Amino acid sequence: MAEITTEEGRAMIAGHFGFAALVKSRERQAPLWALMLATAWLDIVFVPLFAAGVETITIVGRPGGYGAGIIHADYTHSLVGAIALSVVFGLAFGWRWGSRTAIVLGLVSFSHWVLDLLVHRADMPLFPGHDLNQFRFGIGLWRYLWTAASLELLLVAMGAWLYWRAARAITLEDDKARQRARLVSLLILIGGIVVLGLDVSGFGG
Amino acid sequence: MQFIIGVIFFVVVIGVLDARLPWPRLRQKKDVR
Repeated sequence: MAEITTEEGRAMIAGHFGFAALVKSRERQAPLWALMLATAWLDIVFVPLFAAGVETITIVGRPGGYGAGIIHADYTHSLVGAIALSVVFGLAFGWRWGSRTAIVLGLVSFSHWVLDLLVHRADMPLFPGHDLNQFRFGIGLWRYLWTAASLELLLVAMGAWLYWRAARAITLEDDKARQRARLVSLLILIGGIVVLGLDVSGFGG
Repeated sequence: MQFIIGVIFFVVVIGVLDARLPWPRLRQKKDVR
């Protein structure tokens, strides 16, 4: 069994943000910043737990490499933990923004677990404390670097494109707003590609 | 590091720019007094 280390592996980042932009194109009343925050919520909670040594990463490939870790994140990335955190996130905004937006934000938060399900190396348990020898979720696309990276790139590209289509539709009569919409769409695309590039290349620590 | 940069960029930078677009207004719950 590999030694559990605190060395950081590189996980899916850009793809989650691409998915949030995609949702924005369908749920136009939901603020994009809240959707972006929702899609990263499980990892945001993971960071302090990782720093405290509560959740850890076992490196199984190139140290610091893309998808090179088995992530022991039983509180944030177990099925029950992800549902609980997503409900908390939805409720935190729902009291102010209404039930529909709360549900959308909660589902976007949970989409993080669903997308991680595709790439994680069978390391996501059913609930915290789930026996290590029992079944864990994770299809393991990280074993196929370019397949996983292509999936993320596709999410970023689709998110930027659908966001642009939706933003263009609401800025038909306002050139300045349309220029801003174009800028945001490009930033989603370019930012996603840069973050994915840093992730895959291992550049930047 | 990429994660922190990503969160700041996508949530704060892109979020602020997006908030200035004329999206349908979110229904705010009214205070009941």
